[in-house]
Amino acid sequence: MIVANAIRGAVALAALALFTGLTQASTDALVSTDWLANNLDREDVRVIEVSVNPGQFERGHIPGAVNLRWHTDLVDTVSRDIIARDDFQALLRDAGISDDTEVILYGDTNNWFAAWGAWIFDIYGVDNVRLLDGGREKWEAEGRELGIRPASYAQGDVTVDAADYSIRAFLPEVVEVASSDEPAAQLVDIRSAAEYEGRIIAPDGVNELSVRAGHIPGAVNVGWGNAVNEDGTFKSADELGALYAEAGVDGSEPVITYCRIGERSSHTWFALSKILGYDVKNYDGSWTEYGNSVGVPVTNLAGTVWGGQ
Amino acid sequence: MPNNTATTIAPAQGRSDFFSNALAAIVAIGVLIWAWRLSGGVGEPLALSVLLGAAFGVLLQRSRFCFFCVTRDFLEGRDARGLLGIIAALAMGTLGYHLIFGLFVPDAAAGRLPPDAHIGPVSWVLAVAAFAFGVGMSLSGSCISAHLYRLGEGATESIAALAGVLVGFALGFATWNTLYLAAIDRAPVLWLPAMTGYGGSVLIQLGILGGLALLLMRWHRPAAPAAPAAPAAPPGLRACLFGQRWPTYVGGLLIGALAIMAYLRVAPLGVTAEIGSIARTTGAGFSLLPERLQGLDGFSGCATAVKDTLLSENGAFIIALVLGSFASALAAGDFRPQPVTLASTTGKLAGGILMGWGAMTALGCTVGTLLSGIMAAAVSGWVFAFFCMLGLWLTWLLKNRR
Repeated sequence: MIVANAIRGAVALAALALFTGLTQASTDALVSTDWLANNLDREDVRVIEVSVNPGQFERGHIPGAVNLRWHTDLVDTVSRDIIARDDFQALLRDAGISDDTEVILYGDTNNWFAAWGAWIFDIYGVDNVRLLDGGREKWEAEGRELGIRPASYAQGDVTVDAADYSIRAFLPEVVEVASSDEPAAQLVDIRSAAEYEGRIIAPDGVNELSVRAGHIPGAVNVGWGNAVNEDGTFKSADELGALYAEAGVDGSEPVITYCRIGERSSHTWFALSKILGYDVKNYDGSWTEYGNSVGVPVTNLAGTVWGGQ
Repeated sequence: MPNNTATTIAPAQGRSDFFSNALAAIVAIGVLIWAWRLSGGVGEPLALSVLLGAAFGVLLQRSRFCFFCVTRDFLEGRDARGLLGIIAALAMGTLGYHLIFGLFVPDAAAGRLPPDAHIGPVSWVLAVAAFAFGVGMSLSGSCISAHLYRLGEGATESIAALAGVLVGFALGFATWNTLYLAAIDRAPVLWLPAMTGYGGSVLIQLGILGGLALLLMRWHRPAAPAAPAAPAAPPGLRACLFGQRWPTYVGGLLIGALAIMAYLRVAPLGVTAEIGSIARTTGAGFSLLPERLQGLDGFSGCATAVKDTLLSENGAFIIALVLGSFASALAAGDFRPQPVTLASTTGKLAGGILMGWGAMTALGCTVGTLLSGIMAAAVSGWVFAFFCMLGLWLTWLLKNRR
């Protein structure tokens, strides 16, 4: 009896540990503003800002943060490719990042570009990377400390892997999915309903456009904003699971996310892959590449033609 | 010679007028309440813009910080004090800007430019635009910022000049794509610290400013000494602030300090972004302008976006500037509404059009490109200053030859 109880207790404890572990794992991708405030002084924690608006970092940032400029640091400015491996490694070492450093990413515009940064870290196999839940907006909204002095760190020794493109979708693969009767992946279009339906090509005021309006055939439309709460933090794993399941995306098949230029879609890539644990690729060519390609299948619910006329 | 009152201690009529003082106080309190109401949440830059704009208006009005007037003072009477005030502003701003740049861009040689700083492309287009702006200043009797503060002093004719500026901006947008492909797209964006480091840049800037100051002091012809008067009691604070114009160097130093604060917290000083936005939005609304202005939104300067908010930071700054000048002029007894005549209106309109075209094409005016640009050690600021002054001088020569 005692043995049986002991076994039952051990099983219960193991189950609890497993459950706790799973719960922990589901939030391992994120840190709260409270957590970051309490861990800012740790030498093995490096905070990285990836914002899109010029001057955002310079006029105030989380104290000690390093600025990685999306426009020039993390992309090849001419070929529209991601940063090369050696350049990325040098960038991280200059930021004082070593193999045991815990990296916290945050940025403006609801962490879109910080999530894109997390995708790059993942492509190059850098572990121990998390996103500040709610990003810059939440940190500022809570009236937390901002600094303006640039931080300087001793050279780190991180070694990054060769690029792993298993989380990056390219045009041929996407066309194949769009053309197939039995597609190998589900497509999630995170743009606005008006863009998805082909009523407009892009939101007002953006420079990067495509020739055609509409969406990739077979894609479901779940706007990125559905994945966050009012304060910009991600919804819980359960809520996210239900949200995407409603659109038919439950993790049973590989997923490809896309938007207009591939940044907002990395936010959804983050939610699906890092919080829900699904097998997800981000299509960074997105609609500006797909909608400009000749002869690819397009679904246009609004029936518009060239230039959205 | 209107407004040539740099040192005149002339108690204005009705200065003690209770009504004027009360109205000045009401305007000042209104501006403060406006800023306070804007200060919550994300409105903080707007609130700061209001406060900085009002302070700028007071400083311009009290120190008669008018690029055209002080140059004319020098050309006509060898009175260099006004121009020395502008040099004081540039020297102060240079030091402050470089201090901030060290925070924003620790390694100046890395090929990055400090965010938002008014550092523009240098080409013959800039020279032509600056020259046109100088001619426009001479024709209309003020630069754009001075027209704005004069508006607060009751100079109703400035409305014609500002209307001309709007038209000029629209013309600038219409010619932008052609000029962009002719020269601007290939023009280098030259920033002194990237070439010489911060230390070298400060030395070069202060060296040039110091050299100009020495030359001006040498050419300066002091005014005849006033008749000895019986020693008077020292003036009170109110008399110091509103009884007489402030020396331009005082205004210059304070404007330099204001420019540093503005750059750190909101944006570099500039007075044409909102005007340009109105012109661009209106022109686009009537399909008068090109749908795409090539490369324009990629340049720092008084860049002009299509309006998406009713009140932009620059719009708040401009409105507060006029209100600040209005309150200051009321308190000092300088508020004198002027009758409008057709002849002067025509000149101001024509000058305004030239200034608008020049400011749009040069990505800013005497405040945005000359003042903020030189403070930022932009070669474009110096080029603008040279050709603007050349246009002003030549037009002045022609006007005085008649």
